[in-house]
Amino acid sequence: MPHVSATIPPPRRTRPLLACGVVAVGLLGSLSGGRADEIDFERDIRPLLLDRCSDCHGPDLQESRLRLDVRHRALRGSEFGPVIHAGNAAASPLIERVTHADDDRRMPPGDALADHEIDLLQRWIESGAAWPESDADRSAREQDRDPRLDHWAWQPVQRPELPAARSDGDHPIDRFIQASLQDAGLEPASVADRRTLIRRLSFDLLGLPPSPEEVAAFVADTSSDAYEQLVDRLLASPHYGERQARHWLDIAHYADTHGFERDQIRGTAWRYRDWLIRAFNADLAYDEFLRRQIAGDALAPHDPDFTVAAGFLTAGPWDFVGQVETKNGVLRRQARADDLDDMITQVMTAACGVTINCARCHDHKLDPISQRDYYGIAAIFSGVTRGERSTSPPAEAAYAAEKERLTRELGEARTRLRQLSGNSLDLADIIGGGDGYGTGRAGAGIHPLTGAALAGSPMGFLDAVLPNAPVAGPTAKIAAVFIPSGPDPLPITLDGHTLPGLTATSAAAWDAIRNGPVNSQHSTVLDGVDYATEGHTILGLHANAGITFDLAALFDNTTFTEPVFRSIVGYGGITPSNGADYTVALDGEVVAHGRLGRDDGGVSLNVPLLPGSRYLTLISTDAGNGISHDQIFFADARIEGDQEALSEADQLELHTTRQALHDLESARDSLKPVPTFYGPVSRPPEPVQRLTRGNPETPAEAVAPSTLECLAGLEPLTLGFDTPDAERRVAFAKWITDPAHPLTPRVIVNRLWQHHFGTGLVDTPSDFGFGGSLPTHPDLLEWLAAELVANSWSLKDLHRLICTSRTYRQQSFGVPGAAAATALDSDNRLLWRQNPRRLDAESVRDAILTASGCLNLEMFGPGYRDFDYEEAYAPVYTSITADAAPLWRRTIYRFIVRSTPSPFLTTLDCPNPANLTPVRLQTTTALQSLALLNNDFLLRQTEHFAARLRAATADSKEQIRLAFQLVFQRNPDDAEQAAALTLLTETDLMQFCRMLLNANEFITID
Amino acid sequence: MPTSSSRSTSQARAICPGRTTVASRRDALWQLGGGLGGVALAALLAEEQPTHAADTPHLKAEPTGPSATATAVIQIFCPGGLSHIDTFDYKPELERRAGTPFDTSGDIEFFASKPGNCQPSYWPFRQHGQCGRWVSDLLPGLARHVDDMAFIHSMQSKTALHGPAMFMANSGFILPGFPSMGAWITYGLGSEADNLPGFVVLPDQRGLPPGGPINWGAGFLPAMHQGTVIETAANTPPLADLFPPEAHQEVLAGEPAGRRFLRQLNEKHLQERGQPTDLAARIAAYEMAARLQLSAPEVTDLSPETSRTCRLYDIDDADRGSFGRQCLLARRLVERGVRFVQIYCGAENTTSQPIRPNWDSHEDLARDHGYWGPILDRGASALLSDLKARGMLESTLVICSTEFGRQPAAQGKGRDHNASGFTVWLAGGGIQGGTAYGSSDDLGFAAIAPTFCYDLHATALHLLGIDHTQLTYYNNGIERRLTDVHGHVIHELLTQPPG
Repeated sequence: MPHVSATIPPPRRTRPLLACGVVAVGLLGSLSGGRADEIDFERDIRPLLLDRCSDCHGPDLQESRLRLDVRHRALRGSEFGPVIHAGNAAASPLIERVTHADDDRRMPPGDALADHEIDLLQRWIESGAAWPESDADRSAREQDRDPRLDHWAWQPVQRPELPAARSDGDHPIDRFIQASLQDAGLEPASVADRRTLIRRLSFDLLGLPPSPEEVAAFVADTSSDAYEQLVDRLLASPHYGERQARHWLDIAHYADTHGFERDQIRGTAWRYRDWLIRAFNADLAYDEFLRRQIAGDALAPHDPDFTVAAGFLTAGPWDFVGQVETKNGVLRRQARADDLDDMITQVMTAACGVTINCARCHDHKLDPISQRDYYGIAAIFSGVTRGERSTSPPAEAAYAAEKERLTRELGEARTRLRQLSGNSLDLADIIGGGDGYGTGRAGAGIHPLTGAALAGSPMGFLDAVLPNAPVAGPTAKIAAVFIPSGPDPLPITLDGHTLPGLTATSAAAWDAIRNGPVNSQHSTVLDGVDYATEGHTILGLHANAGITFDLAALFDNTTFTEPVFRSIVGYGGITPSNGADYTVALDGEVVAHGRLGRDDGGVSLNVPLLPGSRYLTLISTDAGNGISHDQIFFADARIEGDQEALSEADQLELHTTRQALHDLESARDSLKPVPTFYGPVSRPPEPVQRLTRGNPETPAEAVAPSTLECLAGLEPLTLGFDTPDAERRVAFAKWITDPAHPLTPRVIVNRLWQHHFGTGLVDTPSDFGFGGSLPTHPDLLEWLAAELVANSWSLKDLHRLICTSRTYRQQSFGVPGAAAATALDSDNRLLWRQNPRRLDAESVRDAILTASGCLNLEMFGPGYRDFDYEEAYAPVYTSITADAAPLWRRTIYRFIVRSTPSPFLTTLDCPNPANLTPVRLQTTTALQSLALLNNDFLLRQTEHFAARLRAATADSKEQIRLAFQLVFQRNPDDAEQAAALTLLTETDLMQFCRMLLNANEFITID
Repeated sequence: MPTSSSRSTSQARAICPGRTTVASRRDALWQLGGGLGGVALAALLAEEQPTHAADTPHLKAEPTGPSATATAVIQIFCPGGLSHIDTFDYKPELERRAGTPFDTSGDIEFFASKPGNCQPSYWPFRQHGQCGRWVSDLLPGLARHVDDMAFIHSMQSKTALHGPAMFMANSGFILPGFPSMGAWITYGLGSEADNLPGFVVLPDQRGLPPGGPINWGAGFLPAMHQGTVIETAANTPPLADLFPPEAHQEVLAGEPAGRRFLRQLNEKHLQERGQPTDLAARIAAYEMAARLQLSAPEVTDLSPETSRTCRLYDIDDADRGSFGRQCLLARRLVERGVRFVQIYCGAENTTSQPIRPNWDSHEDLARDHGYWGPILDRGASALLSDLKARGMLESTLVICSTEFGRQPAAQGKGRDHNASGFTVWLAGGGIQGGTAYGSSDDLGFAAIAPTFCYDLHATALHLLGIDHTQLTYYNNGIERRLTDVHGHVIHELLTQPPG
């Protein structure tokens, strides 16, 4: 049984003995005592400790901060860590020191303990170090108690009584709010008008404005529960999940690249973003929502709906150079320590509002959180690293097994075909200067620009490339070689044959056409067969190059009946897909064409060379992305014929093998890999040590996986050192979602409150400790937290509760008595009105697209990329203007590049995804004004907006009315109508639309 | 004084439950909906209004405190790792041991290599000026200014990785997401420029440095404090979105009428809502934007400069010209009240070009430092001469720094990263010229008694009149500082004694 360190405070309730080897000292303690041969602590151990140890480790003196006279201190250990490891005397420093051979180190100084005393101590520890708490122990513990443990947020959630109902409503939230308003002598504001309500509610719940039709319908709705119906309808909208996911991504500091110097793409991180949207839309219970994000891959490894959720843990930045590239151990350890810090800070601030990061280098300066707590939680996650991984490892294994079988059988079938086909003319051999039967030189080739025969020496990029200028090959068998480029008909011989339909290429070229792989070819393997081995040949044809064989010359000395060109064409570079194109033509007519990449395997070519046909052309072209790694090769490129009659049996086998090969290739092509995503890669947890001053180079004692000790009514988790990663995170996920957790429910209800009022009841939503603020309405917070847990952690119900309150529906301005209320409560923390708010950057962009009519509501999938990407050591991202429907998706679907923030959105206060952002800051700057006046995206959208108005109506007044409805969700009044008409006569619709999108009313919510 | 107020202690907050008004700095900033800069903006537009709270402290960007000797900073940053061995840190011992193994233990592992033999400077060193400081022949122009320059030879970084080391040099933290020095300074002091941003960045024309715009980000400070990039290339608009793009120039004609209409809409909206400050500030921001459209092109138009000045900065040279323009522009910006100008002398890494686009000389130091040295030398020495001639050097702190140094051991023909020792220099703004502080060991491998960016930052803030321990902002549980929990002002380099 693994031992655990005896650092656990006295239990407040009995902990179960978990299968994973967790054992509680207190539990063993409660079982001990009674039998004569057993150690009795009070009889055998305490007197010994008092007599021999407590002079230096007692009430008056605590050398090394160790006290051995009272239970809680003895079990906590010294400044160097625990001294008693229950169940393991040999590993306990207490035993080590009383038995030390070195006089200077042996304890106590002077006379050593007698053998029987040492034996007693050893047996006591081996039997579980039972230490029942005595009255003296308890009183010492209570005296020692840290007063910070009484902080409100660590205490269990207590559901308060509802205050009395007021005259205007008995909604629970209103009762609390109105009670404190009444105490302050304030009155709530009246309910806002319908237009204000639907605009506010729509932006809050969906992040989008309502359409003019929706506004009109709601304003006209006379049913008594029209508002409640609206809330329900919005909560059921698929856009609800998009809006809520954006909030959550802020505290997950999500992006689609690593960040740091080599800011590489995470091409599949979006699956986590999509999971979030779906989870919110399905109203996944918040406790389950958290459990999956912390340990989904461990809870249900086969189910992508769980595994992908754990992308939460890996959403933050990651330093490729520090973690992977550098050889220097110090740098790697630092990068890993930062990596773990990022992960646990994110989890603990997001879910618990605990600033655990403050305890990295020393005990938390404000909160009762020790450095050991920090490293205990770091140990929970020390088996997690970040990377591309399968969404379902079991399905992945099945896929890999099937692929391996198909690959093996494909290879066998092709080898057998080669044997059955007998002798044949090998085209690679001819390129090597041979006769087609093996006399050519391996590696030799033909210069695609001059047609000259070349020896083996490799070439790089070719200079002075002239495309579409065929030259004759070194022998009559090769009619021409050339560098191809479309789109015009492409000459493939010297006598006027052309090939139509090829797209334009970069017209760049690399190396020769070779009897063998081209220079720097990455791979010669297709479907498990290495064609560089004996018995196979390779015709290497790097893009862009083409070669035309003269069949008449080829067949000169040979009698072929019904000749067929057979080969397996494949890609030898590193690009996974869309690497390069191949084309095969007979007399200028394309008979085979396709695009290949590394993951595509080989394609079997079977081209009957019809009687009278003269020119066989093989071409390799870039796929429009440059010629880097465009290494097409034709494996076993042969012209086969019936020159030696096969036996009937062989003919039959040839036929069936060809059929089998065809079936195998189909099966391979239809085999779909299991999707991958950027998420946690689990491995055996690395040992975690407390780091002195947070420095990875000064490790102190080992720390077992554990959790916070300061929470009342919730036992801290302590796991064994050898607990596997999955069990650590599952146990932690359960701990953090324990219904008795004092922080988890309070923190999330406060976040939701903030999203509806601009400010949380606690205005430091990720810090519920001493550094944060106190709740303005403690009872309301308690009641909401209790309600959430009691109501199966449903977030939609909580939204509904908040949104249907009168408090939420209040006016934000025009309140009678506002002057007096402002004097008393300038911040409106008592909520005597609703808070006006600014639209966040994403909502501004979405609302612009909505007004222009361009918004593309396609949900899910890879993000839109409003940048040009250039592969480099440090990839280069250059922002481009989103001016096509695929880029007009909601901003939640933006592909977020850490190193290159969107200038437009950043100017509008979109936060840097390096930061955990519980609250969006708002600034007002001249640069914002310039962005909204002159940014290319905005002006193009303005054009679309104006065109939309023109298409809707030719009447200026109607255009103005529609524009106001689309931007402000209301009609213009007479003065505005007149001013707009004047503007239209002075300028044009475009200028009018531009100014509407710059108006204060557009970017604020009343 | 905004830089010295700190909010009530957490304990004090914890024992006053039920409070409804908050006088804390953070809360006050949030109320304003725009932070200190928002107030600074309102102030400089002379439309300052009381916030909704009568008891909210009146935050105003004051000028500088008692220690202030500088009003502006120009920082030249040499990304990639400028070699102290080949420039400012003379090591005779390294010459003596040239060609002998650097590490006989075999234990040392650099960022990307194991140490080769001891490799002395590729350029000979000479003593210069009254002070007799040593500078290599790579930088003859700067060598003439040593009596105005102060060197810190004991610099260290916490990491030898470009990205994190860049972040550290700029923000004090090796992780992204922290405010850069320029952002802290404008947060603390505001801007003296009526019509220009307070923190301006002039990237190398060859591209952005490692880590990109994060290097001048505002981190968790309000976004208005981030560095504003001004383009130095001729014929490009100096600021993004300053004017409509080519395809939409036609909207300019109707803009005055459009702005009148906008003002009408906003005024009515403002009236209805009882004149809240944030909406008024947003109206004012549009006036400021209009002024920026005049002032920004004016500052980047170098044609009023004399031909002598243009020759001084060598702005027409194919290689040196762009950095010369950056330096000249920096002087013009400071003249117009910009608080902090950061100039990059080098871009992002790539090995695909014949010469590295920054100072990261792994393969061929003589080639790459040999290219970049004259660029830095001409522009920086011109800047010092020009500032001095105009009497601006006294009030302008010039800093020339890098994210780390390079190894005294060879890496082929180059040198690997060295976080343990490097040199930065300062001039002007209260810096005592001709001085040096700290040293590296005999070989230039590691600093003796290391100095960190915290100390450099603390010193720069001090010269601007800011106590670095008092310039704080709450984030994620902590009152954050530019200098984290570190930093000592290096009084040895200052003209004014402490006190």
